[in-house]
Amino acid sequence: MRRLLFLIRKEIQELRRNPRMFPVLFIAPVIQLGILGYAATTDVRNVPVVVADGDRSPASRELVGRFEASRYFSVIDVVSTTSGVDQDLMRGRAWLVLAIPPGYGRMTEAGTPVGLQVLADGSDSNSTTVALAYASTLIAEKAAELAVARSPARIAPIGSIEARIRVWFNPELSSRHFMVPGVLALLLMVITTVLGAMAIVREKELGTLEQLNVTPLRRWELTVGKLLPFGIIGMIDVLLVVAVAALWFEIPLRGSLPLLLGLSMIYLVCTLSLGLFVSTVSQTQQQAMMTAVFFFMMPMLYLSGFIFPIENMPAVIQPFTYLIPLRYYLVIVRGIFLKGVGLEAFWKDALMMTACGVAVLSLATMRSRKTLR
Amino acid sequence: MRKALAVGLKEFRQIARDTRTLLILLFVPAFFLLLYGYALNWDIRHVRLAVLDRDHSTDSRQLISAFVNSTFFDRVADVSSMADVESLMDRDRIRAALVIPENMSRDVRSGRQAAVQIILSGDNANTATAVFGYAQAIVRGVSAALQIEMASGRLAPPPLSADARIWFNPELKSTLFLVPGLIGFIVMISCVVSTSLSIVREKERGTWEQVRMAPINTVSYVVGKTIPYFVVSYASALFIIFAAMFLFGMPMRGSWSALLAALSLYVVGALGTGLLVSTLVDSQALAFLVSLLVSLLPTMILSGFVFPISSMPVPIQMISLIVPARYFLVVLRGIVLKGADAAMYVQQFGALALYAATVLGLASLRLARERG
Amino acid sequence: MSATAVTVRDLTRRFGAFVAVDHVSFDVEPGTIFGFLGSNGAGKSTTIRMLCGLLRPSSGSALVGGIDVTRDPEAVKRRIGYMSQKFSLYELLTVEENLTFFGGLYGLDDEQLARRKPFAIHMAGLDGRERTLTRDLAGGWRQRLALGCSILHEPRILFLDEPTGGVDPVSRREFWILINSLASTGVTVFVTTHYLDEAEHCHRLALMHAGRIATMGTVAELKRAFTNRVVFEVRTNAPMESLRALDGLASVEKTSLFGTALHVWMKPGERETAPLANRLAERGLSAESFEVVEPSLEDVFMDVVERQEGAAS
Repeated sequence: MRRLLFLIRKEIQELRRNPRMFPVLFIAPVIQLGILGYAATTDVRNVPVVVADGDRSPASRELVGRFEASRYFSVIDVVSTTSGVDQDLMRGRAWLVLAIPPGYGRMTEAGTPVGLQVLADGSDSNSTTVALAYASTLIAEKAAELAVARSPARIAPIGSIEARIRVWFNPELSSRHFMVPGVLALLLMVITTVLGAMAIVREKELGTLEQLNVTPLRRWELTVGKLLPFGIIGMIDVLLVVAVAALWFEIPLRGSLPLLLGLSMIYLVCTLSLGLFVSTVSQTQQQAMMTAVFFFMMPMLYLSGFIFPIENMPAVIQPFTYLIPLRYYLVIVRGIFLKGVGLEAFWKDALMMTACGVAVLSLATMRSRKTLR
Repeated sequence: MRKALAVGLKEFRQIARDTRTLLILLFVPAFFLLLYGYALNWDIRHVRLAVLDRDHSTDSRQLISAFVNSTFFDRVADVSSMADVESLMDRDRIRAALVIPENMSRDVRSGRQAAVQIILSGDNANTATAVFGYAQAIVRGVSAALQIEMASGRLAPPPLSADARIWFNPELKSTLFLVPGLIGFIVMISCVVSTSLSIVREKERGTWEQVRMAPINTVSYVVGKTIPYFVVSYASALFIIFAAMFLFGMPMRGSWSALLAALSLYVVGALGTGLLVSTLVDSQALAFLVSLLVSLLPTMILSGFVFPISSMPVPIQMISLIVPARYFLVVLRGIVLKGADAAMYVQQFGALALYAATVLGLASLRLARERG
Repeated sequence: MSATAVTVRDLTRRFGAFVAVDHVSFDVEPGTIFGFLGSNGAGKSTTIRMLCGLLRPSSGSALVGGIDVTRDPEAVKRRIGYMSQKFSLYELLTVEENLTFFGGLYGLDDEQLARRKPFAIHMAGLDGRERTLTRDLAGGWRQRLALGCSILHEPRILFLDEPTGGVDPVSRREFWILINSLASTGVTVFVTTHYLDEAEHCHRLALMHAGRIATMGTVAELKRAFTNRVVFEVRTNAPMESLRALDGLASVEKTSLFGTALHVWMKPGERETAPLANRLAERGLSAESFEVVEPSLEDVFMDVVERQEGAAS
């Protein structure tokens, strides 16, 4: 036990003498969260639109004005013919092209049905679908206006249907509220996995590991001794990013903070142990880095449900996602932040995460041998 | 130039000696492309919908049809009470519910505004946002159609209609969008990760003195260091692209030379980023950390890979200007999906070249200073 | 503790098809300095690692301090000190911090630390430099600090793997003074080195080549093994030609250059210089002097190696 304390003290001494670590460990995550929290939004806004107004009448300008006024669209150019718009779509300059035929004003005035052409860049399927839906709604409502305007006043007044949409479990439906806890979890994963992955392999590469192996230091003492200081760093990061999320992004922390911190500790054990495990199977830091990035971090990024819903994944892949601690942590973080629920809602996830942590930690400890075979 | 090649050869020998890393760099990215391309999609389809129709009118049925006929919703249940809706939601049997109030039809046709309720499960906010948008659009569309019908009569055609054509990806398959993005992401990370330890390793191992004393100018040294990684990363990137095309069905509608040129610029820029990080830190652990922080999440989130840049707040859009993947994705998607050629992307090529020159230049400057 | 500090029998270590240590056997008496000599790649470090419990032997046995290292390496580690070939202290820690750390790992309590740390610092000659960062220490001082760290727990057996690698000759001498003083207190020191002049300090030597012990004994014994043969040191004005001239002579076993002079190894029983002088004169060369010299350790070593390679081929 005493040996463990000496090891921890040594780790802290080394960390203190490495001043460049501090901005990277503590300031960078905060900045990253600040930027990425704003960026990670699935809301579709400001879709670039080019309008080919073949009519150039007050009526057509009014229609264009509606698109300009909508926050979903950003009219970047109004041209007079459709020649050249294919270039805009190809270049990616515009996602949508609205073509107003010549005679639009005259025809709508006369009550003759007018057809508008909407060309959409289908490469971003989701955004395109949403943008098209908004565009057609805008056009349909204009159509209704035109029809109502032309209808004789004696016919009964015309009502409308309005949608009142309520979202359960995430009332604000802020994409940001959803993504920020996710970015938080991801940042923690990156930092702690790196620290863990470098921890042992660095000593291996520099030669100090051999000196440790020749002392009475036990394997679990080495593993835990590396885990604790990095765990503390991780917890500081948790506090920092939670503060940013709550105070800067004003994402309400509806659930219990102590619970969040406690479960974060378990999550950190998971990611640190994963890193340590990578450390024990690598000979050089370069190898550790490659292994950690490709075999652990990237899969966690993609298959954890951070961006791509797990339920959309093919059935054969879904079972593997159970091995990813980030999957459970995401549920927990989002649950505590957004829904304000507690263990009763995600006790299964918490349990799985704990099991992950224990398993990987044991694996890492067992793999680190003091006597090479 | 000869000296640069000598440096490159030595570096290459070092790389080749670490077989595991080399194999990972060459083949693993392609493997993961296939995995992610297969596993990931974003399509909003088959949203399970329950319908609670208290109106039972032609109009309400028209509204329900509009939902059903859209490609997004699957009508899985007809219920008769809110309690049913709650129960189905809680058990995750449905993700959306359409609640049509009594007298909706009568209210609308009397000139009043009728409100239908749509209840969504916010469990997955990403998809929920899109579903929100679609639901809104459907209701407003039906409302407008009803208004036109009331105003002009049932059989009258609408005064204004939109004929939508979808270019480049008519079936709107999300994988066609994702795969180029994945390519850009994986290539960036591989490159940055491979060079970011290269210089710092010498410092940590104590061979730095040799580097300082070597009779070679800094630019040649930087070029020499980059060459072997360029060869390996370029090969790896080609494997990824071939895997995407032949095993995955990504189309290739444009010119290969444009693609390869853009790829070269992109790879050089990515390698340069790693190199720059390597010159700024003094321990491999730190290099690892910084290079990942600089490449992993920004390339994922700020490049237009998954989140549309135009939707971001303007200051963030400015920041995304320095993410090289942003430009590469535009070019890659353009060439692969849209059949465009290089001339369309002068801006993007320029940006990529500028980025590559900047990072390599900064790395050289920094290195020159350290060499004294 | 058993009669010998270290007992090794048929110790072998394979890495795949490559045999790094091949059935090595020897004994080390307590309180002696045992030297393990050999060129790089001979298997010295591998042997030391096995004795320290860092590497598992492929076969064979080793008793260190009476404990079977293959069965209980951890027990061995508690009783020994080890200094590795590659410097393996923490660069970012100060002299004192490194000592405290390793002392703590060996289970020294505060009182013991308070006693042993100053001793180690003084022994290493680092008084007044406790707060210096290890990274800022020059080569020779680093080795001495590493030695200090390895003796904090007063081990009875010390394993030093090339402790003077890359260190200047003055520091090397001083280091050996330290080793000698430790041995005089009864500590058994097992040293590997490829410096032949250091081998003279050892009580007993083993010469290792290609994983095998080529020959073993005290320095005197090793040199005496060759005294039935005479070695002449010949100074001439034309060393290369003289070497060629003398090489084929019937009474000469072999010749080699030694600095600017020649070493001529006579066949067993031959000790006449006249044939040598005559042969030189035939070629128009002359020698300034013929001097009988004791074969140097280098001569012995080269000879051993050649003979082993000869036997192998």
